[in-house]
Amino acid sequence: MTGDALAIAWRTVSLAALATLVMLPPGIALAWILARRQFPGRAMLETLVSLPLVMPPVATGLMLLWVFGRRGPLGGPLSQLGIDVMFTWRAVVLAGAVMGLPLLVRAARAGFEQVDRRYEEIAGTLGASPRRVFLTISLPLAKRGVLAGALLGFSRALGEFGATIMVAGALPSTRTIAVAIYSYTETGQAAAATTMLAISATIAFGALLLSNRLASSA
Amino acid sequence: MLAALSLTACGRAPDPGPGVLIVSAASSLTTVIEPLVQAFECDTGIAVELNLAASSTLASQVLAGAPVDVFISADHIQMDRVAAAGLLRPATRTVLLSNQLVVVAPLEPPVLPATSPDVLASFERIAIADPVAVPAGVYTRAYLESVGLWRRLEDKLVPTRSVRAALVTVESGAVDAGLVYRTDALSSNKVTQVYAVPVADGPEIVYPVAVTAASADPAASERLLAYLSGAGASAAFESAGFIMPKARR
Amino acid sequence: MPVPITLDFLLCQGDFRLEMHEQVEARVVALFGPSGSGKTSVLESIAGLRSLEWGEIRIGSRTLYDSGAGVDVPSHRRKVGYVPQDLTLFSHMNVKHNILYGARSDRDDGSAEGLEQILSLLELHPFLDRRVSDLSGGERQRVAIARALTTEPLVLLLDEPLTALDRGLRARVLPYLKRIRDELATPMVYVSHDEAEVRALADWVVELDGGRTIRSGPALTPFAGP
Repeated sequence: MTGDALAIAWRTVSLAALATLVMLPPGIALAWILARRQFPGRAMLETLVSLPLVMPPVATGLMLLWVFGRRGPLGGPLSQLGIDVMFTWRAVVLAGAVMGLPLLVRAARAGFEQVDRRYEEIAGTLGASPRRVFLTISLPLAKRGVLAGALLGFSRALGEFGATIMVAGALPSTRTIAVAIYSYTETGQAAAATTMLAISATIAFGALLLSNRLASSA
Repeated sequence: MLAALSLTACGRAPDPGPGVLIVSAASSLTTVIEPLVQAFECDTGIAVELNLAASSTLASQVLAGAPVDVFISADHIQMDRVAAAGLLRPATRTVLLSNQLVVVAPLEPPVLPATSPDVLASFERIAIADPVAVPAGVYTRAYLESVGLWRRLEDKLVPTRSVRAALVTVESGAVDAGLVYRTDALSSNKVTQVYAVPVADGPEIVYPVAVTAASADPAASERLLAYLSGAGASAAFESAGFIMPKARR
Repeated sequence: MPVPITLDFLLCQGDFRLEMHEQVEARVVALFGPSGSGKTSVLESIAGLRSLEWGEIRIGSRTLYDSGAGVDVPSHRRKVGYVPQDLTLFSHMNVKHNILYGARSDRDDGSAEGLEQILSLLELHPFLDRRVSDLSGGERQRVAIARALTTEPLVLLLDEPLTALDRGLRARVLPYLKRIRDELATPMVYVSHDEAEVRALADWVVELDGGRTIRSGPALTPFAGP
């Protein structure tokens, strides 16, 4: 049983880490756009990004199902290419990334908003293209916000349940800690559920410690 | 009881890949279906992965194109959703099991067995599965309405996420009683059975099963269906408290 | 060498209105006047950091802005070396990286020499590895100037570079500015409210008040001052 439990724990942590990597590029881009640019439809974009935060996770899971299921607009073509999303580890990463993204965008956006535009302006006068300004000035100066956002996104992905169980199923091969606790509780396997709970608490504790250390040193 | 059928020598479930059957089954079937599936794996060498969740979730997944081979639902409503979208092999649809509603109570304070459902009126708080979304809850409501108890009891009812959750709530003593399946009551040693709804009086609880249209291996799927309908499996289901259906659709 | 400089434009921002009509040949154009008169806005307009209503801005043979011809070169392509009043040094980089920020990496010949000349001119060799926050006011000023110079700018824009320094420091930094004017031959547009500085450096002075040019002329003409 502990072998299983450790395998589930490892899977959960590694897939949450992957989900964090996946959410970083679009998350940083969105945070930047929302922090710096005015354009028609901006409020719409803001709302769209925040949706997974306010909708029940099961509802988000349903939406992901419709889009990425084999009969969906994205899942169909992917399936043709031999890439199945549903009921695989990809679904776990997808659910984690989608649920964590709004948290990342919020924190990263705050980070960018705190960067004095003056630095960006002066860097521009020194000949740096907008892309270079972003990479050498804006992003480094917004580092703390981005990092905080990444940690929040990671934590969210780590504990994700509602959307995950929709798109990844409750299969033994895709089971995360949260799904495992659910399955064990449903079937009355109290001991197994308690083990997973203990592991979950340990990981959460470790993640918090790490996050505090990073926050104080960044 | 089920020990004879759980053959641990066959090892852990493999990752799904080509050649693995994915079976979506209502979570109320969990304790009994896992050993059965393992026995099937050992006998036939066909790998099976179990996806256990609420029937509505399972149906949504099939509707979205999940790679499921066999679907066992806890009522006709969810199975009909999938059938309406043309995603079942209609010839394979049959009723696998039936069940019975019972009233249970925590071990303390001791409650005497009753001979009538009116005993429910003596409780303050009664746990049931959510009568809106969960099959067990839908059945429970139908039954209570049929014996004229629904109005009287409505305010005392505590709806839970699933019938297992209702059972756990009774076990914890947070409520005075609950309406669950006989199979759930038998699986727990922390509740007493107060009243068993006679099958003739109760709603027709059914667990329909079918092979999906998108199944990659319909032959193996039908073999599994045959196995689950066979004598050995039936014995296992019955010892867990399931009832064989009155008629197969 | 004096360079043709055209500053002929209108800037409107809220209630503020700045109008310039200067067309001169000079090495150093000084902008003189009380605070709020628009001096900084002139520099920022040359740097491309403000949008203008109409006009022309030309330095030497390069047109940076010409509303009639639809020319508005984006700020990062103007090749102006702007040293703002608050310096805005990059605190997340050390001195060396600040100075080299604008240096083009695709130059091969002359680049190392040019850099050397700037570093020697401003006596910055000992500070290259230091953090910006470790420097004194005068040292930071020189770093900001060096940073602007490494871009090999068309024109150097200096906003009150000596104002924040004490008298002793001013006396030490002013010679650097003179050397830049004389040895690097880079034209400058220089903002100050100090008569003595203007006299020491400029060959053309524009006196501003409330966004209007009160008077302009060669620096040797005596004028009243603030």
